[in-house]
Amino acid sequence: MTTDSQRQDSDLAPDAAAPADLSPAERPARPPHDFPWMRVPTQRSMRPVVGPQGLRLEDVDVDSYGDVPDHWPYRNDTPRGAFPSQNIGLAASYSIFDKVEVWSENVRVLYEDAIRDRWSSATDVPWETLKPYPEHLERAICQICTEMSEQAYVTVQVFSGWLEKISYGFHEVKNFLATLIYDNARHVEAFRKRALANGGGLGIESPGIYHRGPAASMVFTELVITTCIVRASFNMITVDTLKRTAKSEAERVLYSNIARDLQRHIDYGVGHLTYFVQRQPQLLGQLHAWLSRAEGLLVADQRFDQPFNEAMILLLGKNTEEGRANYEDVRRQWVAYYLNRLADARIYDHMTRLVPELKHYLPEGAAMPNSVSMRPPVEDPALT
Amino acid sequence: MTINQDTMEQLRAETDYAGLGLGWLDPGTEWGVRAQAGRKGLTLDEINRNPYGEVPEFTINFTARPRGAKARPEAPRLGNRLRSKSEVWASTIAMLYEEAQQRQWSSARDIPWNELTQLPDDLELAMCQLCTFLTQVEFIAGDLPGRYVKEISADHMEVGLFIATQIMDEARHEDVFRKRALANGGGLLQAGPGAVGLLQVSDFAEMTTLLHLVAEGFVQSLFRMGELIANNDAEKKIFRLAAQDESRHVAFGVTHMKYLIETEPERREEIHHYLDRQEGLLGTTQAGLTSGGQSAESLAILLGGGTAKIDLGYQKLLAIRKRQINEYMHRLEVIGLGDRRERMNPDMRQFLDPVRN
Repeated sequence: MTTDSQRQDSDLAPDAAAPADLSPAERPARPPHDFPWMRVPTQRSMRPVVGPQGLRLEDVDVDSYGDVPDHWPYRNDTPRGAFPSQNIGLAASYSIFDKVEVWSENVRVLYEDAIRDRWSSATDVPWETLKPYPEHLERAICQICTEMSEQAYVTVQVFSGWLEKISYGFHEVKNFLATLIYDNARHVEAFRKRALANGGGLGIESPGIYHRGPAASMVFTELVITTCIVRASFNMITVDTLKRTAKSEAERVLYSNIARDLQRHIDYGVGHLTYFVQRQPQLLGQLHAWLSRAEGLLVADQRFDQPFNEAMILLLGKNTEEGRANYEDVRRQWVAYYLNRLADARIYDHMTRLVPELKHYLPEGAAMPNSVSMRPPVEDPALT
Repeated sequence: MTINQDTMEQLRAETDYAGLGLGWLDPGTEWGVRAQAGRKGLTLDEINRNPYGEVPEFTINFTARPRGAKARPEAPRLGNRLRSKSEVWASTIAMLYEEAQQRQWSSARDIPWNELTQLPDDLELAMCQLCTFLTQVEFIAGDLPGRYVKEISADHMEVGLFIATQIMDEARHEDVFRKRALANGGGLLQAGPGAVGLLQVSDFAEMTTLLHLVAEGFVQSLFRMGELIANNDAEKKIFRLAAQDESRHVAFGVTHMKYLIETEPERREEIHHYLDRQEGLLGTTQAGLTSGGQSAESLAILLGGGTAKIDLGYQKLLAIRKRQINEYMHRLEVIGLGDRRERMNPDMRQFLDPVRN
């Protein structure tokens, strides 16, 4: 797989250079074996201990190997902790070399947890337990699943394209993002399977307004906000709603598994924003701008998404009034959940900057927290 | 199938749901689908046994609309550019995706790390050097196909989903080889030139040719010889599991290229061109996995059983090289490029077995 151009035969293994059936006289002269690569000054003698959860990233990425520099200096694929090649080869397509752009302190744990918690929609959901719904409710569920599947595909598309921008120095982030992409791929087909497994079918695509958030993000942190903070938190509430109204074990298992995946994505988002704010407090205003843009896109998307809104109303009430009221509660719950996640990230003062359509879900006269130690004046929904 | 009109009338006429439009209840999409789990569960193949499984040869779906859902004319486009099914599709794609789901493994828990044994310094360092190389190149094999996912229409979403599994696999490979280097007293050693050159492609077919058919194929052949390289059960399992993953990636490459060449035979020479280029690099410098600088030395030490037996190791390395090239030729025959035998770079062709009659 080595592809840089080198002087012919410069890296030939002595015997690999010539087929075995050539006479000795035709063989190239054998250079002495010196093995300089055995003497490079990298750290040795680590003996990580295998813990109860196996040998995790946090067990091996220690000492010099765990030291993640604020700025990664190599433009090629040199692994962190290896001795860099003295020959300058091709530069890769990386454009992210600063830790603050991608880092989250929990990223190693989240990567390993994602692998530990892996599941398959084909075999880990007891599909045979699905129960029939009245037709209008089945159509409502199918409409919601259609849009959730669509959103997940956009997430797969957008994050997959960012991988080649993130340099090797932050390999744990690339590892975690691989799980995020993989999780979302599973969500694409899991929601689709739900729509096609119970006598239903797919509904109408979403207005697509929100897709512009992730798809047009120009900075990675903006992408994290649109996907892991705003979208994932709203989806968390939606999935929780689907789970609460589910009639079968299959659906409860499905939505629980998806919620567990979303929780990791949100945790990464919160961790990244925390790191971002701690290291660049002067850019807090930038964060607020990104958050407001994402909120605005979400509100616009929902304003034009009559199918989704009415599907939620059908699902949540025996009549329009009850459905609307309960859907309002869901949205109120999301705003509370969202503000609490921002508070977790030490962004405690976003409340007054919420877009108006979301601000009205706050309690009247609610006082804005004025320090990182204060929680938002809205109860954190207990989601499991 | 349209919604039961009685239901619709009831929803609208009775005051229960007054004020709602409810037009979306009747989107005109296929209705009444009841996919059943098969022997392997509710797989993509099972849910594709109806009109939702009809994959268009040429998509006009430029938004994120799931295949079979009703389109909104006002929905914005997202930049999907790969319109033709033949550009991305593989007949095995749904099966490969589900297999990837079933065969996920954990580098933390599925490798018997406690089986790592204290090795002589030369063997430990050789394994660490090989792992340094592998951890270096594995991410490229995820980053590169990842670049193209945004261009794959939701009508061909199975391909995007499969690439997501490959991204996951490659991340795990980077992780497991790094862990092996750091787990037994060695460490990461000398970084090499790496695989950055693979990123210099412009087209999906070019990417698949270089990455899946050639590079991943060569790595797969190497991993399948892992029994010869490994010193203990932990290392054997690493190579075995990684080879299993690579087999899926190679299978995608083979079945995609077969589909492409069958449906667009006019692209044969273009594919040969990509192969010419890659073989040129491999052939003129022998800079493949098994013969490049410190990677070759470390492999020869491992295969021979120590620095003192490196000559024996190089002989075994030649056998691996021969196997790599013959398996590569077999893949080319499967996709319909059997004439590559005559066109192959002579430095590689010399390793080919004679054609069987």
